[in-house]
Amino acid sequence: MAHYRLTVDTGGTFSDFVYVNDDTREVSIAKIPSTPDDPSRAILAGVEELIAKGVTPDEIGFFCHGTTVGTNALLEGKGVRTGLLVTKGFRGIYEVGEQSRPHGPAIFDIMYDKPAMLAPPSRTGEVVERVSFEGEVLLPLDEDALRQTLRELREEDVQSIAICFLFSFLAPQHEQRAREIVEEEIPGCGVSISSEIVPQIREYYRLSTTVINAYLQPILARYIANLDQRLKDAGVTTRQKYIMQSNGGMATFEATAKKAVATVLSGPAGGITASVYACRTTGFQNLITFDMGGTSCDVALIKDGQPSIANRGKVEGRDVALPMIEINTVSAGGGTLAHVDRFGELIVGPQSAGAQPGPACYGRGGTQPTITDCNLVLGYLSPNNFLGGKMRLDAQASQDAINNAVAKPLDMQAQDAAEGVVRIINVKMQEAIKAISTMRGHDLRDFMLLAFGGAGPLHAGPIAAELGMAGVIVPLYPGVYSAMGLVMSDVKHDYVRSRLTALSRADEGDVNAVLEELASQARKDLAEEGFSHDKAEIEYALDMRYAGQGYEITLPCNAPLAPGGLAQLRSAFDEEHRKMFGHTAPQEPVEIISYRVRGIGRVPPVELPKFAPTGAPLAGAIREMRIARFNGASVECPVYQRELLDVGAVFSGPAIVDQLDCTSVIPPGQHVRVDEYRNMIITIGAA
Amino acid sequence: MTSSPKVDAVELEIIKASLDGIVQEMQNSLFRTGYSTIVRESQDASCAIMNAAGDVVAQHVVLPLHIGSFPACCQAVLREYDDIAEGDAFLINHPYEGGSPHAPDMCVLTPVFANGELIAFCASIAHKSDIGGPVPGSCSGQAKETFNEGLHLPAVRYQRAFERNTEIERIIACNSRTPVLVLGDIRGQLGSSRLGEQRLGELVRKFGKDKALTSFERLLDLARIRMKAAIAEWNDGRYEAERFVDDDGVRLNQPVRIHVIVEKRGDEIVFDFTGSDDQTQGPANIRPPLVQAAIAYCLIALVDPHIFINSGLMRAFSVKTREGSVMNPRFPAPVNTYNPTVHATVEAVFAALVNIVPSKARADGCGSRSIILGGRSTKAGQSYVQYEILGGGGGARASKDGASGTSVNQSNAKIAPIEIIESEFPTRVLRFELIPDSGGAGAFRGGLGIRREYVNLQDARFSIRSTKHIIAPNGAAGGGTGRTGDIVVNPGREDEKRLPTRYADYPLKAADTFNLDTPGGGGLGHALARDPQRVADDVNEGYVTLEAATTSYGVALVRTGRKFEVEPAGTEQLRARLKAAHAS
Repeated sequence: MAHYRLTVDTGGTFSDFVYVNDDTREVSIAKIPSTPDDPSRAILAGVEELIAKGVTPDEIGFFCHGTTVGTNALLEGKGVRTGLLVTKGFRGIYEVGEQSRPHGPAIFDIMYDKPAMLAPPSRTGEVVERVSFEGEVLLPLDEDALRQTLRELREEDVQSIAICFLFSFLAPQHEQRAREIVEEEIPGCGVSISSEIVPQIREYYRLSTTVINAYLQPILARYIANLDQRLKDAGVTTRQKYIMQSNGGMATFEATAKKAVATVLSGPAGGITASVYACRTTGFQNLITFDMGGTSCDVALIKDGQPSIANRGKVEGRDVALPMIEINTVSAGGGTLAHVDRFGELIVGPQSAGAQPGPACYGRGGTQPTITDCNLVLGYLSPNNFLGGKMRLDAQASQDAINNAVAKPLDMQAQDAAEGVVRIINVKMQEAIKAISTMRGHDLRDFMLLAFGGAGPLHAGPIAAELGMAGVIVPLYPGVYSAMGLVMSDVKHDYVRSRLTALSRADEGDVNAVLEELASQARKDLAEEGFSHDKAEIEYALDMRYAGQGYEITLPCNAPLAPGGLAQLRSAFDEEHRKMFGHTAPQEPVEIISYRVRGIGRVPPVELPKFAPTGAPLAGAIREMRIARFNGASVECPVYQRELLDVGAVFSGPAIVDQLDCTSVIPPGQHVRVDEYRNMIITIGAA
Repeated sequence: MTSSPKVDAVELEIIKASLDGIVQEMQNSLFRTGYSTIVRESQDASCAIMNAAGDVVAQHVVLPLHIGSFPACCQAVLREYDDIAEGDAFLINHPYEGGSPHAPDMCVLTPVFANGELIAFCASIAHKSDIGGPVPGSCSGQAKETFNEGLHLPAVRYQRAFERNTEIERIIACNSRTPVLVLGDIRGQLGSSRLGEQRLGELVRKFGKDKALTSFERLLDLARIRMKAAIAEWNDGRYEAERFVDDDGVRLNQPVRIHVIVEKRGDEIVFDFTGSDDQTQGPANIRPPLVQAAIAYCLIALVDPHIFINSGLMRAFSVKTREGSVMNPRFPAPVNTYNPTVHATVEAVFAALVNIVPSKARADGCGSRSIILGGRSTKAGQSYVQYEILGGGGGARASKDGASGTSVNQSNAKIAPIEIIESEFPTRVLRFELIPDSGGAGAFRGGLGIRREYVNLQDARFSIRSTKHIIAPNGAAGGGTGRTGDIVVNPGREDEKRLPTRYADYPLKAADTFNLDTPGGGGLGHALARDPQRVADDVNEGYVTLEAATTSYGVALVRTGRKFEVEPAGTEQLRARLKAAHAS
């Protein structure tokens, strides 16, 4: 019996599939149109595609899914009717939020409003109870009053309730008891309590995260149950069924159904996981990931093989206080529009032609030029080999659109205009990369640019050169890279607990006790999910700060701490503070704010196939010669077919490389080598 | 228009995107390396690139007011020094010599050279935790001269040949309650400036000096042209408006008048503030760079919040102020509590412009306020300063209710988390909620103010710098006023005491409570024109009381289950009666 891994990343237009045969290491991919009304239909189609190749359903031993069901429900306001319980007198926490507006245009925008509340005041109940900052109960929970409040909420047809009381991260018993009472008074209603979702100090962020979970949890639970049933019906019975989370790790179906909020920023996580794997196969430990699609471009930094993680982020203005891979997004994609305004200024973005009407060359009614139209006019894209020839591009339409909107108003030739537009969009993406790298003290000369997404490999070459980076990597399947990452993930659960601890007044035993409590929870959860002791790993970290500072630094540590461990932590904190902020205050007291544990369930690592050279000549991979535009000059250059490039092939730009899911542009002065995993490793400068 | 040669449209955009990136990088560096939480957490700091004349070419917008301060600070340096050289850095925080809003706002400037020619400045302004004076934080609501407002530096050379002048540092250190934080922040600002200088140098080398400078001028010009083109589309006319600040902190209960006449003809627009009150004894005065910035804030809001912001915008309008007035005080009139006056200026300008651009009508909002509790913690034995900045209700807008519990206008601070406050300071918060009926009634309702009630667990000194406790936020187009703010110590007890809008150093005892209400926003349009369904919704959400629904909005409601519904016939009668009463 063979062993297969199947992963699927559901996108807006396509669902991307990767199939890996664990025994032969053979990898294949598929792109199937998504079915947004019920994404599991497309998933089943992808399962059937594998079965059609002669694989039996019970040979599928691993399934991982990247889903935007939660994210979309949040963006479209299609979560369930949600209620909220707060400590009496404290409705303002959710109503006021951060109070401030985001930096930039919102400060000037009279019409700016923060996102609407997911649980309005009419579905918010106040609960008599109060806990002090030391975790002591100042006012016991008034259960009778709570029951009365819940009877009123029941009439509001509430399907899910978030509970967030002050200081519940120190004393969760009121929230826990309130949950029991909810279950008695409103049977079948979902309940999310903040002391479980994120037992962390700062009430607004904890509340916001808990409310989002309550709002999405029933939807995700339903979706997963439905998907699970469909998979079972299809004969896929493996226990190893996972969903990708925002932290770059997977969670089981069961765990995800409880903690839906952990998926809302999971979109880019697959690509980053694949990139971390690429560190291993290519040997480059420092990467900037560059994922450019139709409307936006996501960039992230991987240093020493580790992506950078943030402990808090925003989804469309809503606050989520959970660990997530740190991504910088800029409005720049194939569909980004260009035009000259009435003042003669050439405006590129942020508006996008989107999927409809799309670029002019798609022939769907678009008349405004986009980045894709520019790439076509410059000779980078092939009119008759786009998506493997499935879609013809109308070069004349691109030319006309560029002429009308850009070239004529600026008295330029269409190709010069197209090149100018591409230079401008490239600068915007370069600035986005600088924001996560040089602006944080990293030297880009030590980094490779890892390009994926439909448009990443088209733009990566000039961007890496402009930024003075070490080079570019184009992986074998850049168009389904997120699904690729799902094959390579581990299970990751994050646990946090806030406990303000003055370092000078604590001993190692105190700190170990809290960490061990979290770790035993992590071990228990992993064991329940079927991870044996040797497959379960625990990582520890502490959020620390100089007393009175408004923010914390997350410092990894080894637990249990040995005697003298706190003193070591103290100097490690000073050193980390120096690295991040340029200075330290060794005479100032330091405190621990939060304790963090990550439980990792190791999934047997996938081994991507290595290939041996076949000896096929390079010339045999040339599909055609084409005139393309580089630095103001038209040059005839070869167009290679990626699938035909042999391992070890070496060639230099100018060149274009076409493949089913993507096109790569190799500018003059850049040199390609195809490695044994069939990645293209591109270096810049002297060959 | 300038006579400079036509700039390549592509290169102009590349240079613009790069400048945007450079100021962002300077800002990140400053936030990252700043010592004090004021810089790093409250992010009370801005960065800019200026041309050799001191015009801001690009600015990262955190605080809109600094757009006016940068040029004034730079011009002070240019006036003072004729030997500016590479490796120099300058410091200035003087509201009169330069353009700092008040002494804590310290500006650091570094010149940028290309082939020996001065072509630009990189600069930042950051609020300092304490720069001396009679009260911690240097902002006394009872100051009568700038000499009560901390240490003032005119333009001074802080670095020569990249070497710091340690004498200046020692003077500053001797005059601050928090010398480590202040010097740390200044060095952070210097680092940010040097970073900008380095990246600007790369840009200039890449495109050549002439092209870069022409692009700077073109970007300034484009900002001016865009603003002028929008102004030209507005109706011509002459309009005036006035707003009042509660008082100046010294002469209590004496409102301070801000008055503006706006004259708009073609693409010319003039803002005349000469009718504003004489300069005040207390610190309610603002200097002309802030007046200019307040106007720019309004124009950007009305024209396009996404416009590329630089000094070119300032060339699109003119301003008249009267020397010796609250908008152009004579040295050494105090200026430290400038925010209430700037809010009033912004609101007067909006009120006048609304006649010209009716589609962007907006009622007044809550202004901004801070409270400071200081003392010595019995727990840790250390002195502490609890500092909170609070917003309130935003004004109603054309087609939209005002936002509740928000910062408004040029202010933009985050609210302090209760769990952090209670963990760090001897205070407990008893209540944090929006205040029903605090939003001005109107076809579109004003946003709601915030109520925070505290119990003080230990003796402490309390200061407040607020606004609109006496004079309510105005409504617009027939809308009602927002509810005023209030600060009461020990409400409901025998020793209940209401404090003035601005007050320094009130001695709170352990177990004293105090209640802070912040103002609601004004309403827009007549309350009787409000869609009755929206009134019912407001009652159901607890934003409007049943009583106000009847008396202010003339909406009759009936209870169905937990919810109130509109009773149409009763509503019609009520509204007819209320209209008749208004008419008589």
